[in-house]
Amino acid sequence: MSGRTRRGSGDTGHAGRGASLLVAALASAFGVVLLEITNILATVISGNGSGDIAAVRTSMSIVAFLFIAVAVYVSAIVTTNTVATIIAGRTRTIALMRLIGSSARDQRRNLTRDGLTVGAVGAVIGAVVGTLLVQAGLAITVAAGGLPDLSYALLEPLLAVPVAVVVLSTWCAAWVGSRRVLSVSPMQAVGAAEERTLDEAARRPVRNAIAVLLILAGLLFLAGGVALGQVSEFGVLLGLVGGMLSFSGLVLGSHLIMPPLLGVVGRALGGSAPARLAAANAQEHPERSSRATIGLVIGVTLITMFAVAGATFERMMAPAMEDPAVRQALGETLSISLAVISVLVGFSALIAAVGMVNNLALSVLQRSREIGLLRALGFTGRQVRAMILAESLQMSVAAVGLGLALGVFYGWAAAQSLFGAIAGGGLVAPAVPWLLVVLCLVGTLVLAIGATIVPSRRAVLVSPVSALATA
Amino acid sequence: METTPATPGLAARVTALTKTYGSATTAVTALDDVSIGIRRGQFTAIMGPSGSGKSTLMHIMAGLDTASSGQAWLGDTEISGLGDADLTVLRRRRVGFIFQAFNLVPTLDIRGNILLPFALDGRRPSSTENGWIDQLIESLGLVDRLTHRPHELSGGQQQRVAIARALATRPELVFADEPTGNLDSRSSREVLALLKAASTGYGQSIAMVTHDPIAASYADRILFLADGRVVEDRERSSAEEISRIMLGMEQRA
Repeated sequence: MSGRTRRGSGDTGHAGRGASLLVAALASAFGVVLLEITNILATVISGNGSGDIAAVRTSMSIVAFLFIAVAVYVSAIVTTNTVATIIAGRTRTIALMRLIGSSARDQRRNLTRDGLTVGAVGAVIGAVVGTLLVQAGLAITVAAGGLPDLSYALLEPLLAVPVAVVVLSTWCAAWVGSRRVLSVSPMQAVGAAEERTLDEAARRPVRNAIAVLLILAGLLFLAGGVALGQVSEFGVLLGLVGGMLSFSGLVLGSHLIMPPLLGVVGRALGGSAPARLAAANAQEHPERSSRATIGLVIGVTLITMFAVAGATFERMMAPAMEDPAVRQALGETLSISLAVISVLVGFSALIAAVGMVNNLALSVLQRSREIGLLRALGFTGRQVRAMILAESLQMSVAAVGLGLALGVFYGWAAAQSLFGAIAGGGLVAPAVPWLLVVLCLVGTLVLAIGATIVPSRRAVLVSPVSALATA
Repeated sequence: METTPATPGLAARVTALTKTYGSATTAVTALDDVSIGIRRGQFTAIMGPSGSGKSTLMHIMAGLDTASSGQAWLGDTEISGLGDADLTVLRRRRVGFIFQAFNLVPTLDIRGNILLPFALDGRRPSSTENGWIDQLIESLGLVDRLTHRPHELSGGQQQRVAIARALATRPELVFADEPTGNLDSRSSREVLALLKAASTGYGQSIAMVTHDPIAASYADRILFLADGRVVEDRERSSAEEISRIMLGMEQRA
């Protein structure tokens, strides 16, 4: 009955490090695989005599790097959040080290160095696994006759770029995430009081103002793009600027947007004690819950944007094309390229999901005392599970829902500003492919339930006696 | 071995309770054949030095831990044979807790914390219960704190919230584990006076584990534990007498 009640810093440290390693490996593998496939395609295309290999390669690599940048950006957010979460749970240990005489700077340097190691190991593992996968895939495809048997040069200096970028971004993320160390006081080691709210609850007027400005300016540009799109395809340039500005604003201001949204979803889950406690938990750490979810929002927004842009374009062109054969051919080309793009941007959603799962696991680990208290006061194991599931559902539903809504808007704006003139003017309603909605629903459920497996098992092991312990 | 229903007048009792930790070769006996009863409506202190088994005894009586052998009863329910689910419901409905570290839920405001036992049970307090809770809030001086969060309150105030939470459901027995261990002496006296008032005023049965003679002097009855056995059973005593008994126990050890 005494159960496992260890809440040591080592525990959380390992859980967090594993996730950071996985995220770095995924991002690095993604970059390496993408570049190698680009290389293979370029070799095939130039082998077919369709032109100069260098030119083909350059343009394709630029596109590949855009996707890599998105994946690395999302993985950096995930790592930053992981480090910040670990520190929140390790406050006592850090305070004790400070008490004994270690400087905050030293403590932070240790964490940052840890980030560098994890980033380097993860990036190399990812690169090796990625290369092996591509080689195996290539051998199989060539053997099956899917690709001509050319001399493909898979290993090239360019591959070092995504690996280096992942190492650097993980390092930086650890540095940014460890900022909280500086505000840990040595007194927190001697104080009997429980450490409270280590999250940055501080007001950030400058950051908030910039976020609002970016969003407003972005919306103006987007409106201008849609309007200009009625007469010229150059509207898309305005739209692109507007999209980037407003989306950066959203990410920057996510600590203002996500917590209320999580609250709304939380209230929708009902008024039972587990649901109410889950809602309160998500609101308690606005910075943390917004960082845990914003990566997923980015991923889902991008996927949705491309899918909706394609579907809306088809709807716009429908009246203009009488010939069903032409329409079908165009539709097929479009949906294949969009599917490829969706998979590529979807990878960042996968990395973000890893981050969300890890965040939930860490937060349960760090709350074992509170869970013990609830058990002592009469919370059943089932209710503890329900609470964790409610938290998980809340995060997944809020992130996917917001991503879906943003993606529909951006996709529609993109289609209008690029193709408005070709389609003969006028606005159409955004078209949302049903397959996308189904995928999002299924993805949300799988993520929400999958994320609770490990934390739930751990949480029901927490013994009610652990709440009575004084340390 | 006794298997009859509880003697009237006892809120809880244990018979021939033994608790050992560890395997056969390294076994540590925390409780050694303990048989005691906690009288209904009384404020009982369980005293003893560190390692005397007083916390283990309380955990078993409260359904938080299981005994190696022997029986534990809450009212006329034998709890030593109950599974986790039944124990959980029992803790929720029939037992109240006050901890040394207050243990309020940080994400809930004061009112939410006081009403937590009802929320866990998935129900709202009845109008009689609401009247009682309002009375508690009033007498504990928490009226203007209800929308605050726990971390905005002093230790003494937090412990008063915990007392309100423990008394809100009018449980058969309130367990208090070193309730003054984290408090300054003024807040300690306040908390102890409140516990005593709950016992004399409303007939609340309270079992308090402590090693502080001053805290124990507020109780109607004091049980002394040493090395897993009950060594003394005293009616109300002064802090000096209690200290003397404790010192005597230390010297014999």
